[in-house]
Amino acid sequence: VNAISSSYRVQYDVRPAKQVERRMLVDALQRLAAAGFPISDYQYTGFSAIYFVDFILFHKILGLSKLVSLEQDVDLTTRMQFNKPFSCIEVKMVSASSEIPNLSRDLRHLVWLDYDGVLQKDFLSDIQSAITILPPGSILLVTVDVEPPEDYDYAIIDPAFNSSKEVLGPKHWKNYFEHHASQYLKLGLSEADFGKSELILRSTEILRAAFTKSIVTRPELQFLPMFNFAYKDSHSMLTMGGMIGGRAEKRNLRTSSVGDAVYYRADFESAPFEIKVPRLTRKERMYLDREMPCPDGWKPGEFDLEPDDVRHYRDIYRFLPAYVEISL
Amino acid sequence: MRYASAEVRKQFFIDMFTRDISLEDCVLDLIDNSLDSYLLKHATSISKLVFGPDGNANGDELGKIDVICTERQIKVADTCGGILRRRAMEQVFCFGHDTDDQVGKLGAYGVGMKRALFKIGNNFHIVSRTAQEGFEVSFKLDEWAKKKEWNIPITFIDGAGSERKAGTSITVTDLHEEVALRIKEGGVPKNILNDASTTYPYFLGQCVKLRINDNDVNPTPIKLGELTGVLRAAREKFEQRGVKVTLAATVAPGQRTTEEAGWYVLCNGRVVVRADRTNLTGWGTELASFQPKYRSFVGIASFESDDPLRLPWTTTKRDLNRESAVFIRARALMASMSKPILTFLNSQYASDPTVEVADIRDAVGGVTEISFKDIAEKPTTGFLYTPLKKKEKKSEWVRFQADVSSLAQVRRHLRRPNMGAGEIGKFVLSHYVKTECGE
Repeated sequence: VNAISSSYRVQYDVRPAKQVERRMLVDALQRLAAAGFPISDYQYTGFSAIYFVDFILFHKILGLSKLVSLEQDVDLTTRMQFNKPFSCIEVKMVSASSEIPNLSRDLRHLVWLDYDGVLQKDFLSDIQSAITILPPGSILLVTVDVEPPEDYDYAIIDPAFNSSKEVLGPKHWKNYFEHHASQYLKLGLSEADFGKSELILRSTEILRAAFTKSIVTRPELQFLPMFNFAYKDSHSMLTMGGMIGGRAEKRNLRTSSVGDAVYYRADFESAPFEIKVPRLTRKERMYLDREMPCPDGWKPGEFDLEPDDVRHYRDIYRFLPAYVEISL
Repeated sequence: MRYASAEVRKQFFIDMFTRDISLEDCVLDLIDNSLDSYLLKHATSISKLVFGPDGNANGDELGKIDVICTERQIKVADTCGGILRRRAMEQVFCFGHDTDDQVGKLGAYGVGMKRALFKIGNNFHIVSRTAQEGFEVSFKLDEWAKKKEWNIPITFIDGAGSERKAGTSITVTDLHEEVALRIKEGGVPKNILNDASTTYPYFLGQCVKLRINDNDVNPTPIKLGELTGVLRAAREKFEQRGVKVTLAATVAPGQRTTEEAGWYVLCNGRVVVRADRTNLTGWGTELASFQPKYRSFVGIASFESDDPLRLPWTTTKRDLNRESAVFIRARALMASMSKPILTFLNSQYASDPTVEVADIRDAVGGVTEISFKDIAEKPTTGFLYTPLKKKEKKSEWVRFQADVSSLAQVRRHLRRPNMGAGEIGKFVLSHYVKTECGE
């Protein structure tokens, strides 16, 4: 686990792609609620850091009121408490691995293991724990960083590594992933399979294997894929998730409109939904919004914009926040 | 159509079948049969033995099992109820259970007794009496092996006359050379005693009294711990295909040796795997590899079924079948239950010993014993450590590395060449407080 909590590293509330992802999740959960999933009774367990952005959305928009935020860094205890926006949020200064076995078996859960680091063993065992105990109808989301492991990540698996003499590359990254997830990787991978741009694929495969492997222990249930997001604010990130469900949940999920959403992924084999946020001015956005949702091939008349940007904008405009400066 | 021969050869059973089991476990197989007779006769429930306040709530008289193990004979004699003639004629000597056989709780495969006999010696004498009827079987293995038939001569005898005396006695003499050799070498009776004591903690004293060469075998209980308000054991329960699974993991009470630490797996109350610290129970794969700092870890996984074939044990009842679906599910739960406990135990050894670390050590040291039943009764939950409310700190550790030359300087200055480093530290601190801080 990285020594530095993301509370220190990232200004949580101004990451547009991340925010789009959150709003898409809210959208999906609204669609599930409409299909009869009692979403507002779900317990949400996540890592809010000191910003609680997801907690605010889930409480205000979806009405979830059983909310638990986990934080491992005890030095943040008072700041977590101070920043807690609602009384119905319980802050627990423990790791996910300690808390997951304590989750009530009588509630449905939304659990978002929103890690800010590169995949490691502990994440995989948390996934296994969650899938082993969460009641049917519960939703599990997992986010990992898919940039190459950093020097400090690598030093943990190879204490002899000297960052002043050696630069990390695919050979090291392969070692890293084999150390943390050998049982989850397919056979016959070479160093080239661990090049920088391949790491998102490897992470996807590992997470997919973790979901499948863990649900095997509950023969009456399946892990039903729902989300596979790739996005980048500063680091490239991957979020995968789905529902733990039996026949009833599977049927319910099929009848819900979530399957029509552009970001929905009913399997992990197809490409992830890439959240791409085109760089646009406020004026441009206002202009584009009037035409949204636009037909395929539509182009703005008054300025030039790449067709890809138009397409990406069409996918996300409903979910994209606008940031303004305010004087407090 | 032509047919190739695919028949069973007697010699295979005699030679091959006996290789994968230890002499001690063979004797335990015979003890299992005695226990099974008792359980059947008294309709004793395994749940009551493992979780009951008193497994023998009906006040049934304890069965007696006497084991004699010398270089001349191995004998297991019990007063556990005896075997019905009908079962002797149709079932007991067959290899494997028939579908309509009355199944016991500990005899899963219908091979234990036969394998034990073949393993141990050449000359068998079996006498069994219920209150009403009895039978006797004597045969020599070498002579039986030569015959083509698979049957065994049996003589009917009178019953024991009373339920108290009803029972079975199995005597093997003319021991195989290597068996006699091992017994001569010493240690076998002691091993049987130790194994029985750790294998049957839920049976000994609750339904039977077991003696090995006239020594009482006392149960070695599996001790679980909690500390009220501070440490709570993890517990899980589920039922899958007729198998009831109960799991508990926690910190054990008292001083622990590494040999006692790990997972204990019960199948119908019998300890099949004891203090496991291998990847069978997740160590080194889902969990960290075992290290002595985890020696206070203890977990029990109990599998219970009316049909022992559904339980995940192997035929030797000393290992688990990893392909068992019910075990695969249990194993995943066992890993997620254990992990927080290992993290907790690990935190006792933080490189920077703070007050929190001292609290954790106190909690581990203060754990008191709690029964498996008391844990299993409560709702499913994970392991929980709640530090006691902070007491006003009266003292705190001060530890640092000091230059040898500075220490020598103080010693010279005080003219106390033998003054220890710790003493110097205390002296210097109190001196500073007195001379610099005032009241």
